[in-house]
Amino acid sequence: MGFDQFLSSPEMEILIITHRDIFQSAANSDSRFSDDYANLTAIIRLDKQDMKKAGLKEGNLVTIENSAGKVVVKALQSTYEEPHPGTAYMVNGPWVNALVSAETSGTGVPAFKYIEAKMKKSKESSITSFE
Amino acid sequence: MEREYHVCTGCALLCDDIELREEENKTIIDSACRKGVAWIKNCQHPLECTVDAKDATSQDAIEKAAEILKSAKNPLIFGMGNSSLKAQEKAIELAKKSNACIDDTSSFCQGPFVEAILNDKIKSCTLDEVRDKADVIVYWGCDPSNSHPRHLSKYSYFPRGRMRQRGWEEDRTAIAIDVRKSDTAIICEDNFYRIPPKADAEFARALTEALSGKVPKVTFGMKPKEILELANVLKKAEFGVIFAGLGLVYSMHDLSPMEDLLEALNKKTDFHLMPMVGQYNMRGFNHTLFDQTGYINRVSFDGEDIGHGPQYSVVEVLKEKRVDAALIIGSDPLSSLPGSIAANLKEIPTIVIDPCKTFTSQIANVTIPSAVTGVECKGEAIRMDGVKVELTQMRKSDKMADADIIEKIMEAI
Amino acid sequence: MANAMEIYQLLPKTNCKKCGKSSCMAFAAALLSRENKLDECTPMLEEEKYSENYTKLKGLISPAEEASETGMIVHEELCIGCGNCVVACPVNVAEDPKGAGSGNAPTNERVILKVEDGVVRLSNVEDCRRFGENKILCSGCIVTCPTKAIEFV
Repeated sequence: MGFDQFLSSPEMEILIITHRDIFQSAANSDSRFSDDYANLTAIIRLDKQDMKKAGLKEGNLVTIENSAGKVVVKALQSTYEEPHPGTAYMVNGPWVNALVSAETSGTGVPAFKYIEAKMKKSKESSITSFE
Repeated sequence: MEREYHVCTGCALLCDDIELREEENKTIIDSACRKGVAWIKNCQHPLECTVDAKDATSQDAIEKAAEILKSAKNPLIFGMGNSSLKAQEKAIELAKKSNACIDDTSSFCQGPFVEAILNDKIKSCTLDEVRDKADVIVYWGCDPSNSHPRHLSKYSYFPRGRMRQRGWEEDRTAIAIDVRKSDTAIICEDNFYRIPPKADAEFARALTEALSGKVPKVTFGMKPKEILELANVLKKAEFGVIFAGLGLVYSMHDLSPMEDLLEALNKKTDFHLMPMVGQYNMRGFNHTLFDQTGYINRVSFDGEDIGHGPQYSVVEVLKEKRVDAALIIGSDPLSSLPGSIAANLKEIPTIVIDPCKTFTSQIANVTIPSAVTGVECKGEAIRMDGVKVELTQMRKSDKMADADIIEKIMEAI
Repeated sequence: MANAMEIYQLLPKTNCKKCGKSSCMAFAAALLSRENKLDECTPMLEEEKYSENYTKLKGLISPAEEASETGMIVHEELCIGCGNCVVACPVNVAEDPKGAGSGNAPTNERVILKVEDGVVRLSNVEDCRRFGENKILCSGCIVTCPTKAIEFV
């Protein structure tokens, strides 16, 4: 037994899968420097139980980190009917790409849709900025 | 009254039935989806013409770009998925002239499938054939409702087609295979097959086994009966098509599981595969480069022979810092590549040609605004199914077409 | 959308018949089918003690009052403009088989659903199969919508 259970916001391991979102694509065409774009891109959608485990409320900021990089994004509960503990979803964009490893075994194709990382509630006051 | 239709270049579906009309001094865009409308409308932050972050004339910017490419030993030319066929031809010409590496986004997305189709290793078809004939449609690792919004309504599922006159409920079966219940999977209802991440190859092999009469086995919790039932539906198709998304591409080491599945299917019926190409003319670049070099991407014109291979991919050349300048055309690697790799662009002179400001243009030494092809200038493009489409101009613009900008850079060199 | 019982609970329950209905329950049902408007219950409008319930009811019913006569509501903020409903609508198919019915832009003005500026818009709603005396519970536009942007109330 570790100390994790006694902390209010323990760190947890997650697998991030990326996908497209038409509202984010539309915002991307309109302006990559708008709040709209950031609000639709700098988010991670988590399983309900995972939210609870990590001590997160809707809209809390989380720090996600792995050997490739570190970003602060907003945590939201996913709307999928079936539970998906351990797996989280992010929309394709610079925030999630900061976590994609440069390691490709020389294939030229990074693992854009299979990203392992550690996540915990963030002490930062805003999402990571790329401007 | 004769209707005037335009083509939307918001994605590689190239919808050809877009109408514009004026209402109370506003232009209304008819029939384009939300994504297309956002693409056609002016962006909030058009790119400005700059050299070293200071305003410049286009003449000065073009000369500076030429100077950068001329003094580079081995530059990178990347992008072109959102450029006309003519601009792509010019970009390849420029690559030859400047001993450059040339690559596009297909390098880290749909390249393998497009390559297999151009080399006749995979049977494909056109979207018009799908609308007229397809009765079994598989969306595998893709979510057109978000990436190609009119895919289902204009071509693949809902429309009446020549041999599919009774509507989708009776005439067509839509199937989704994915790791998550996407918006497209929701429409497929009971024909949604959830598989774990990275299990696509295993699932394809299980389907191939089922087609050859063996009991299919998978290591995840799907019963053989379920797989057999799906195989049966595929087998009974008159005209079947698999739309392959990035979810499928990224989860396979090579295409053999899909090649084998298609071969097994085509022993029993008529089955096709089409990659879900994203940018409106990515396939155009692949075709153009293929015609000239025999390769669809990842080509180096440095040296006497044409070099090709993953070592010339945008990801590897940037990661290994093997290029000493970059020309980025209509693409935003700082947004779309792994952050640590894209960051290397900051260390070399970079030129960006784009209609709008991007994360990459923010770090570029030279930025040159271009017209949006199919909106602010005309051109030609290759649709996601390999069909050539004429693009019209929707509104007046004094911005240069990217083909003209590249031409002028070449002249200056 | 609320059901008749929920609406009834918020009404005065005095059966005063000022609205023209025989009872508050009948009025609740009439509100639900959009036969009557909430403001036809004059006691609720005039008497202070009902003001809280009036606000609640207004919130419950107003989406329906904004809906077209068929009860169809398009949630524009959810709509992606994919046009699935445009090609699936049986009226669209019958009125414009080569255009809307084949997945293309509508070629005449008789269609019910069409996409304008990236969002679906309604016209000729009186031709919807859910409208009029011979109405049927057609759901072509609802089951084909990936984002639940269309609703009938």
